[in-house]
Amino acid sequence: MKNLFAASAMAAVSIFTPQLAAAQSTTVQQIMDRGSMLCSGHNGSYFGFVEVNDQNEWKGLDIDLCRALTTAILGDPDANQIVPLSWAQRFPALQSGDVDIIIKATGWTMGRDTELGLQFSLPYFFGGAQIMTHGDLGITDATGLVGGTVCVEAGTTIERLVANYLKTIDVEHTMVSYESAAELRSAYLANRCDAFAAWGPSLAVLRATELDNPDAHVILSDQLSSEPISAAMRQGDEGFVDTVNWAIAALLIAEEEGITSANVEDMAATPPNPRVARLLGVEPGMGERLGMRDTWAREMIAAVGNFGEIYDRNLGKDSPYNLERGLNNLWSHGGVLYAPILD
Amino acid sequence: MVGTAMPPQSQFEVARARFKKNAFGTPVATAISIVVFTGLAYVLWNFLNWAVFQAVWSKENVDMCDAHSGGACWSVIDARYRLILFGTYPFDEQWRSITAAIVIVLTVIASCFPAMWQAKRLSLLWVAGFVGYYLLMEGSLIGFERVTTDGWGGLSLTLFLFAAVVLLGMPMGLGFALMRRSEMPVVRWFAVIFIDTLRSLPLVTTLFTAAVVVPLFLPDWLVGDKIWRVIVGFALFFAAYQAEVFRGGFQAIPKGQLEAGKALGINYWSIMGRIILPQVFRHALPSTINMVVVTFKETAIVTIIGFFDILASGKVAFGAPEWSPYYIEVFFFVAAIYWVFIFSLGQYGEYLKRRMALASH
Amino acid sequence: MATAQELRAKAKQRQIMIQSALIVFSLTILWVAVSNAQSNLTRLNMTSGFAFLDRGTGWDYSFSLIDRDINDRYSYTLFVGFLNTVFVGFICIVTTTFFGFIIGTLRDAQHPALRFAANVYVQIFRNIPLILQAVFLYALLIHLGGPRQAISIADVAFLSGRGMMLPGLNISATVAISLVLASILFGIVLLCTKITMWRGLLVWCCGSVLVALVVALIVKPAGESVFSVPVLQGLRFQGGINLPIELLAMILSITLYGSAYIAEIVRGGLNQVPRGLVEAGQALGLTRMSIWTRIKVPMALRSIIPPLGNQWIFMMKATTIGIAIGFSDLFYITVTSISQSGQTLELIMLLMLTFLAINYAIALFTNWLNTRMKLKEN
Repeated sequence: MKNLFAASAMAAVSIFTPQLAAAQSTTVQQIMDRGSMLCSGHNGSYFGFVEVNDQNEWKGLDIDLCRALTTAILGDPDANQIVPLSWAQRFPALQSGDVDIIIKATGWTMGRDTELGLQFSLPYFFGGAQIMTHGDLGITDATGLVGGTVCVEAGTTIERLVANYLKTIDVEHTMVSYESAAELRSAYLANRCDAFAAWGPSLAVLRATELDNPDAHVILSDQLSSEPISAAMRQGDEGFVDTVNWAIAALLIAEEEGITSANVEDMAATPPNPRVARLLGVEPGMGERLGMRDTWAREMIAAVGNFGEIYDRNLGKDSPYNLERGLNNLWSHGGVLYAPILD
Repeated sequence: MVGTAMPPQSQFEVARARFKKNAFGTPVATAISIVVFTGLAYVLWNFLNWAVFQAVWSKENVDMCDAHSGGACWSVIDARYRLILFGTYPFDEQWRSITAAIVIVLTVIASCFPAMWQAKRLSLLWVAGFVGYYLLMEGSLIGFERVTTDGWGGLSLTLFLFAAVVLLGMPMGLGFALMRRSEMPVVRWFAVIFIDTLRSLPLVTTLFTAAVVVPLFLPDWLVGDKIWRVIVGFALFFAAYQAEVFRGGFQAIPKGQLEAGKALGINYWSIMGRIILPQVFRHALPSTINMVVVTFKETAIVTIIGFFDILASGKVAFGAPEWSPYYIEVFFFVAAIYWVFIFSLGQYGEYLKRRMALASH
Repeated sequence: MATAQELRAKAKQRQIMIQSALIVFSLTILWVAVSNAQSNLTRLNMTSGFAFLDRGTGWDYSFSLIDRDINDRYSYTLFVGFLNTVFVGFICIVTTTFFGFIIGTLRDAQHPALRFAANVYVQIFRNIPLILQAVFLYALLIHLGGPRQAISIADVAFLSGRGMMLPGLNISATVAISLVLASILFGIVLLCTKITMWRGLLVWCCGSVLVALVVALIVKPAGESVFSVPVLQGLRFQGGINLPIELLAMILSITLYGSAYIAEIVRGGLNQVPRGLVEAGQALGLTRMSIWTRIKVPMALRSIIPPLGNQWIFMMKATTIGIAIGFSDLFYITVTSISQSGQTLELIMLLMLTFLAINYAIALFTNWLNTRMKLKEN
């Protein structure tokens, strides 16, 4: 009797103890078993990157990258769940497995890479912190902000960058920080703060939405940083990192080669060069090496387009924001985006 | 008439006479009446003027909003009410979301009838209502398109959290209350520590822990969906408070009953189930309703840990550039929804309390 | 046939079994949780421990009572959050109790208009979630406009979307805090003496103000006035006392909500005072005011204090809504620290322990108050 009790107790305990790392399935395997991919959303809208439209659907550059990845892994752009997360929650949520990946305008930092146990993908975007002020203050650079109030988002790299920058140039100021982009935005528009420190692209997007009066807001000349923006994953799953890296690479290569969602099937039928043939899975190699289907890149491009299309749709000329590509163009067009070599 | 001291005819007249005496009996009282009632009327008039007379109602007329600076711009509600009520639930499937919300509301209304006040009927009703809600919202089990909990939002999510927390928390609260009354010191102390700890922590800390920290302590297969962890955390919080409500109910019952039952050789669970608990429930009912009301109000906290409840979706509703000047209208709308729910439940609780006070005399 | 003794022994044995099972069960859960946490931390390659407390934070926040800098260590920053929480909680406890007593008394008033107005207030503010009220109020307040559009009150105080600027004594923050602490200490000393409530309050207020004035006269920089009045300079006001709008929104919203609750508690307490006592007071020719202060309130206090203590604890916990409106309370600082340092477990543990300690202290205080009230009865 006693032995039986002890044995069943041991059995019960062993179920609850963590399995050994070796026995754990990879993230890709988990996604396939689940049949859907868990991506990060935002608690509100982060214009151009993660936003909710009138039909209650998520859209934006980061959401499109998630859809691209979902297509690559599962073959269906809609087989994902967008989990709304605040900035502060994104890393705990990743660590706890609430999301598979964070694609949320997240900068690659040493602390995150080492202490938080994260792994970063190839940078897919470059943008630095900048400061925007109300035009009627007549300020052109950050030294004019003496005594002013600066608003930032809590728990971001920007928060530390701005604090550090303003201290370095010895500008005495008050800082107010908010948990979500929407709150920050309405606080700035309500004139709670003189200045709004954020990531350059999102400032430009915000300014573009104030079309009635383009001079009402001035982006100061100070460039506080240029951050590489990457997707963040849990450490210890190299296979998943490879998948994400090559999905991003495929989007860039497609743009380089002029493959779009419109012409991808024609390109696959008559590939102009061996690189395109390999990318679109006409020649084998693309899938096997990642443990996926050979045609994953073709399906992905058909579903969401190449990187240029994604950019134009969400931030560029086909969006309400109409942002220049600038740094975020291909290296061959004066930008800094490039893909690793597809051999 | 003076001096004849006619006996008042009805209750209404008594009330009127008293009102007259108290409100206009002395010059000071009259002055106070005039000041207070004029003040209230002024506020009410301005409010109505803003909310009704000067307001713009439809989304087509939104360009009139700027000209009409004196009135509310309800166009924002007209344009975005679906977002506020349903969050990011798929647009074409939103009839399911509204049906599910109605199911929960009906469940709450049905449990207000004294005919339902039996443990068995009440639990059946709530389980049925909850299951009905879940089937409708999730969809895949009854042949609709599947919508995962990440897509649930707005008022429907608020109602879901509320129903799930009450349903789970009620039996847990009873369990804690029984443990706290136990004769066994270890069991009693266990309950005391648990209840007191949970009651001293802010709800948002408990929920944040459930959402973010708990997964680190659990084996992978037990982590589950964030929403369920938060519901369990919330239910524990509810249970800790509800246990104290039940304890109050227990204290109203003479100890002799349990002893009498024991002397007759009836076992503990039968005494509890048949004799003590029905009385406890009756005594604890007004405070329980109060607790339910508080829980409904506290669900608004989940917005802090990133859920798309009605407050969060309201914020998104005026987050779009064209709607951002009309935040007051959106907040009013959301506050009105909360108010209607909480006020009517609260009034019902007051009514019960009065009725029971009468019955016990 | 078992004897009564055997039955009793059996029952005892069963009780021991159940209790040991509970102990074993809790210990197992604890052990499982800890081992899971350890292996999860190693698997995710996360660092644990309290070493991060000595590291600089590198970020700034909206409100602090004491000097702050972006190079402060995490321990110091968390302490600032703790101070802010206690500060706001304490102010709200005072304001809600004050207004709660007034509104509760009005709800119990004879005059129907007063009763009606108080009822409207309670029904509006009690039935809307606190966080919604806070967010709404904050949105309204920040739309008041920048410092240049500030509403001026007699040119010495200003209200704008940034906050409230009040004239104050010309002293440094450290001196101000020591003065406040001294005043609290004075209050505690008074509480321990046998002085009556109203006279005690009078002595405490006058004494504190007097001491503050004298100190300000001594420490003021030569050639400057004792008072410092806010003046618009560049992007902000300088001088005086600056209450940021986040702080105002916190205090206002918690006060509006909490006083509606306390009003109900007070009304319940006043209702329980036997009518005969009030009538006796009237027969003695006491004024309404003295009936209220000498008969109703002292009698009602005994049933008011226990629920009031619970409400005070609620006020402390309610400060966690600060995160929704950008006020740097302890919860906000903890959450930001979590996302900046990644030390989730350690920070949450500190947060919970702090709240347990604060609320335990309040519970001790209410118990003490309660026994003191009871002793007076004899």
